[in-house]
Order: sequence, then C-alpha cells, then structure tokens
Amino acid sequence: MEQKVLVVDQEKCTGCRQCELVCSVYHTGASNPSRSRVRVVKWEHMGIYLPMTCNHCDNAFCVEVCPTKACHREPEKDNRVVIDKKLCIGCRTCIMACPFGQPFFDAGERVTVKCDYCDGDPQCVRFCDVKAISFIDANNSNLARRRESANRLADLLKQAR
Amino acid sequence: MGAAHTHSIREGRTPRPQQEWKAMIAIYLYLAGMGAGSFIIGLLIHWTGVILNPPSLPFIELLGYRLDLTKSPIFWGPIVVSMGAPFLILDLGIKWRFMYACLNPRTSWVARGFIILSIFIVLGLLILAKSLLPFKWLYPESSPWLIPEGIAFVFAFATALYTGILLKATKSVPLWNTHLLPVLFLASALSTGSMAIILSLLGSDPIAYHKGAMKVLMYAEQLLVIVEGILLYLFLSRRYRVSEQGKDSVRLLLTGKLRFVFWQGIIFLGLVFPIVLEFISSYYRNSALLWIAGLSLLTGGFFLRLGILRAGVKDRIPMQRLVEIRYGLVKNSKSEFRV
Repeated sequence: MEQKVLVVDQEKCTGCRQCELVCSVYHTGASNPSRSRVRVVKWEHMGIYLPMTCNHCDNAFCVEVCPTKACHREPEKDNRVVIDKKLCIGCRTCIMACPFGQPFFDAGERVTVKCDYCDGDPQCVRFCDVKAISFIDANNSNLARRRESANRLADLLKQAR
Repeated sequence: MGAAHTHSIREGRTPRPQQEWKAMIAIYLYLAGMGAGSFIIGLLIHWTGVILNPPSLPFIELLGYRLDLTKSPIFWGPIVVSMGAPFLILDLGIKWRFMYACLNPRTSWVARGFIILSIFIVLGLLILAKSLLPFKWLYPESSPWLIPEGIAFVFAFATALYTGILLKATKSVPLWNTHLLPVLFLASALSTGSMAIILSLLGSDPIAYHKGAMKVLMYAEQLLVIVEGILLYLFLSRRYRVSEQGKDSVRLLLTGKLRFVFWQGIIFLGLVFPIVLEFISSYYRNSALLWIAGLSLLTGGFFLRLGILRAGVKDRIPMQRLVEIRYGLVKNSKSEFRV
C-alpha cells in the first residue's frame, strides 16, 4: 500500500510560520500558533528555519507509553500515529517519551495533540508558498537526495574522463 | 555594537530539563514511596512480633466502639499512599478520565501503576482496619491473615519500586533510563518509611528510642540512609557517563540551577544532617534533635524525587548532530564529532 509522509526541505523554509497558523486554524478554529501541531524552530542570526512535525515513527514511543491507547497507529490511513482526543487523559507521558518533542499539550482542550496529516490533506503543505513541506510517497521521500548524489557522481565521472 | 554574538545551536546544548512533570508528580512519587516503605517496615515489625513503644493514645472511642491504636503507627502507610494518589490525578489534563487508565492495565506503566497502587491501598487499609477494629470475630492475630498481609507486602514493594519504574519507562530521558533508579527510590522509600514509623512511635516515650527494638529500628534506618547515599552516588556517576544529556542532567543537579535542591535538599537535609543529628541525639538522649533529624530526612526524601524529576533532560535527536555537521559547528576535538 502506498504510504505518504511529510518531508521538510529546510533549505527552502523562510520561517514565515504560515504553516503554524493554518494548522491551528484547521484544527482548533483559532489563529493561534501556540496551538499548532507543527512548530518552526528558528536560528535567526544564521538563517536556519526548521519546521518540526511528527515523524509518525515506525517504533513510536508515544504509542508505547500511552496508558489509555488514545495514542495509536492507523495503518489504513498512511500508517499515521494519531491521538484520540476522546480517550486522552492529558497525562503528557507521550510528550515525555517522544525524543522529537512532538505531541503538544493543548491548554484549551486539556489533552495532548499531534499531527494527523489533516486526514490526508495537510494544510501546512497546501499553504506553504515556498513548498518547503511536501506530502509525498514514502518510497520517494529521499528521491531528491538520491538525484543530488547521482549528479555529484556524474560530475566526478565527467572530470575523470 | 557591544552585544555578544550568541551561538544558538551551541546554546541548545545548555541543559533544558523537561517541563511537563513538576512538583505535583514529585509529591505523588514521594508519598507513594514513603507510605509503601513504612508499610514494608511495619509489616516486618509485625511479623517479627517485636513490641515497640505504645502510642501516646492507645485507644479512642468512635461511635460507641473502642478502636485499638497500638498497631496504627506501623500500618498507616496506605493512608499516606491514598493521600498521594490524587496528586497524579490532579496533574492530568482531564481529571475524571483517570478511570480510562485503570481500564487498560496492560498498556503502560502509568496504567499498571494505577492498578498496583489501588490493590496496595485496598489491602493496606484492610490490614490497618483489622488492627484497629475491636471485633473479635476478625481474629486479627490468626494465621489466615498472613495471606492478605503477604500480598500487601508484595504490592508495597511493587509500589515503592513503581515510583522509579514510572520514570525509567521514559526511554528518551537518559537520567531516568536505568535500573538503578527504582532501586534508589526503593532505598529512599524504606529509609523515609522507617523514619516515619520512628517519629510516630516517639510520642509516648521520647527516650525509648535508644533501647530495645527502637534502637534496632534506628540502626536499620541509618543503614538505609547510608545505602541510599551510595546508590545515589552510583546512579549519578553512571548517568554522567552514559550520554551527553545524562551528563547535562547530572551537571544541572550538581552545579546548575538545581544545585540548591541537590546540595541542600538531597545531600544536607536528606543524608548528612539526619545522620549527624541522630548520632548527637543518641549521645545526649534528646528526642527534640531526633524530631528535627526525622523531619529533615522526610523533607530530603521529597527533594530527591523533585531533583531527579526536574533534572530530566531529553536525548538529542539525530538531526541536531546533522545540522551541526552541515553548518560547521562541530568541535575540533578528535574524540568528539569526527565525521
């Protein structure tokens, strides 16, 4: 089955935080980046901007530690890891367990929330003007890197001739 | 432009401890540990048949019944645990949903903890009630009671260990991810629990602590404090070597912003001060000093949980290393960051 993943091209990101806004509007109805499921980490003086979002890990620690099975995997929907808000007790164990600092505690709803790929149409991808975030087939996620390596190899071969 | 050029990625290496679990969880861990520890010591005293000081108030009248309080100083641990459990519930986002965790005992250590604590509280309160109630048909000293007492003993041990296992289950925090943590918390539970029993038995006969079974209990408590100190040293020294974040956590405790919690709370109040005061009080036979030592030890037990909880620094993610390498931020050390 084709599985899609979110891929971030950090070099394209301008740090506009549009993704945070559209994410919070889509999920909460509020234009409040602090309630977004994606967070842009910035190193301003170096010009590095890195949108951080859930990796939906194969061996997800958040799923392992959830005491109510609210955090679970949905293999039929892009193998995503989601949190069922109706089951979440807000213990924040998943936040403690995730090495990527991902699930967030929503102070409004008093539960933990995380990226759910917006049910197959990620709003961060849709509204990113510079296309720094893309939602692509998992098998092709490193296609750009493979192409880059192939180009480098081709250059080397040209020089060798 | 006098502003110093800050290096934000390197700043990222300054310890950033977790902010999710705070004092509320520390209180829960402390009361659960201390209550379970005192119950373990209490049951051992009960089984060996040692006669300790009678409490200053041996009986009370309640609803026409005469309640026997002679065993209550060694069996009140479950009350402390049941006082601590609500702190975990209060820390939840949606409090009433704690029942969901009870209904899924096989999912995680938080859920298992609910079950372990619930069984211990029920059995412990049953044994406390058995020792209090004046009903002869209960046969409080009969051998069938050994079965619930034995099960309660096992669950008291599980409760004391669980307080450490709950933190150990968080694999992404190197400071907590060690088998030594549950053992350290068990030692602390036993030392604070035994001191809680000593304090609750002091009321009637303040100078009885230097003779007979109380003296043995005092020695056992002092030994447990020393064992706790050794375990704390082993725990910190091993965590310091395990990873960069383990090192950060230990630095936070020893020299960072948690140094007051560590040196004054854990080391001074929890280990050194009680041992010294108990030594002096045994010379001068001064129960006031023993009270101060006891309260100091109990406070130190709380600071141990608080310090370890607040010093938890998460493991670094691989992409941080990648960014450092990519932007030439790696150190020129031969031992580190060789690409």
